[in-house]
Amino acid sequence: MRKTYSTLAHYLSVTIYSIKMALLTIVEYPSNILGWLLSNPIQFLLGFAAIRFAVEQFGEINGWNYGQLAFLYGISVISHALSMIFFVQGWFMGFYVIEGEFDRFLTRPMSVLYQFFFTNINVFGLTDLIPGILVFLYGCVKTDFPFTASNVVGILVMLAGAVLIRGGIYLLLGSTSFWTKSANDFGQFTQEIFDKTTMYPLSMYPESLQLILTFLIPIGWVSFYPASELMGIENTFSTGGMGVWITLGVGIATMMIVGLVFRAGLKQYESAGN
Amino acid sequence: MFSKYLFIYKTRIIRSFTYKFDVYGNILMQTIIMITTSFFWKALFKGSTFGNNITADSMMTYTIMSSVLSVLFITGVERRIQQSVEKGTIAIDLMRPVNVFGMFLAEDLGSITALLVQNLLPILILGSVLIKFPAIVSLSAIPMFMASVILSMAINWLLAAIFGMWAFTAISMDPLYQAKKHLVRLLSGSIIPIWFFPKRIADILNVLPFVYIYQLPLDIYIGSASNAEIYSRMLIQLAWVLVLGALFYILSGKSLKKVLVQGG
Repeated sequence: MRKTYSTLAHYLSVTIYSIKMALLTIVEYPSNILGWLLSNPIQFLLGFAAIRFAVEQFGEINGWNYGQLAFLYGISVISHALSMIFFVQGWFMGFYVIEGEFDRFLTRPMSVLYQFFFTNINVFGLTDLIPGILVFLYGCVKTDFPFTASNVVGILVMLAGAVLIRGGIYLLLGSTSFWTKSANDFGQFTQEIFDKTTMYPLSMYPESLQLILTFLIPIGWVSFYPASELMGIENTFSTGGMGVWITLGVGIATMMIVGLVFRAGLKQYESAGN
Repeated sequence: MFSKYLFIYKTRIIRSFTYKFDVYGNILMQTIIMITTSFFWKALFKGSTFGNNITADSMMTYTIMSSVLSVLFITGVERRIQQSVEKGTIAIDLMRPVNVFGMFLAEDLGSITALLVQNLLPILILGSVLIKFPAIVSLSAIPMFMASVILSMAINWLLAAIFGMWAFTAISMDPLYQAKKHLVRLLSGSIIPIWFFPKRIADILNVLPFVYIYQLPLDIYIGSASNAEIYSRMLIQLAWVLVLGALFYILSGKSLKKVLVQGG
């Protein structure tokens, strides 16, 4: 018991140092963060504005008005931002495998997966968080979303689950590099697929695709199911008032299963050739 | 005189056929965008009509042709400048007996030529099979569409080259590239046409060069504007080519004088 406790404390203190170091990179490259502060809000604020203009002409899309869309879009961007902060390395895993970067992690007395994710916290992800929160709050105002205690807990639980699902999928795609030994960068594809499936109501896709994105690849749980439950929108599959908790459960399960795949992959890892 | 550039152009075509993953990657991306966007329009239109004659069906054509056109707007000039500045090879590029920007243009045209077979054709076929065949509104629109696409390519390349010149003096370009990419993507009508925007915003956008990259050729293709309107907009498009061309000419002379070489 005491051993577990001290291990946990050790991991926690390393995490705090990593966060401190990550924050220092802001000071190191101020022009870089300014650039992202410009680019990410452009992408998401203009992106949402364009969707809004189109939807406004018709009043709604699949029963969703633009206020509800803003809520969904905001949740999607916030969870994207958090996943960028903690799990973006999954996108570049091919590079780590090809360059033998895991050597360093393997020699240290800490979990490799932990080091892979948490010793490189990406503070630039914070710049995605701003447009996400803005669009989300806009959606809350437009839909008169009540900020009750249970709703706030619901949002936090949903975000935790959503980030784990995203991170798990990035890591799963990245882990394929252990077997393919190639440095393919899946970042753009994953972002494109996640954007199209988590920013719009999933119900606009054909049922077969909805089934796949609900049960096989759990992307529907990132934003669509929990957000529709919070706003009281009915869907094909009822979540029975447990939507946000299912999201968290799915997130934990995804991460655990992918963790096993990562472990199996690490056994295939053979460092860099020369 | 042009034989040097022709040689660069040919070399680039041959080189392009050796990189495989990038090629499949873009096809996959564009296919995802085409399919998901077409479901978006279907769900939004639900059989209704927008404006004079725009239906969900015309939006399918719009979406497929936008993906097809995007292949013609792939430019390497920005990265090319940035990389040669970072690695210091810009010094060698400048010593060659060709105009550097002429060389970059020949390289980009070479890549695009290779991409016609590697990317444009597969995207057109996938779009036709998976969504619908994107037929042009009338055969008589073809010459105007072609002319407007060539002007679009000119605007797109000039914007990229002018933007890329920043790399001669600025070091961290990644976020700026992203910002430019999103601006072009969202303000050019490549995904959501400008006619959906509120009139005040659309009026402003119609003055900026972005809509003359995607929106104008696509409007001609699906026949969403009258001939008179198209002629006047093509004049603005031509004017933008001239303005950007002049700007490019002035800036390229200046920027090459203060190339900042690091590493080399």
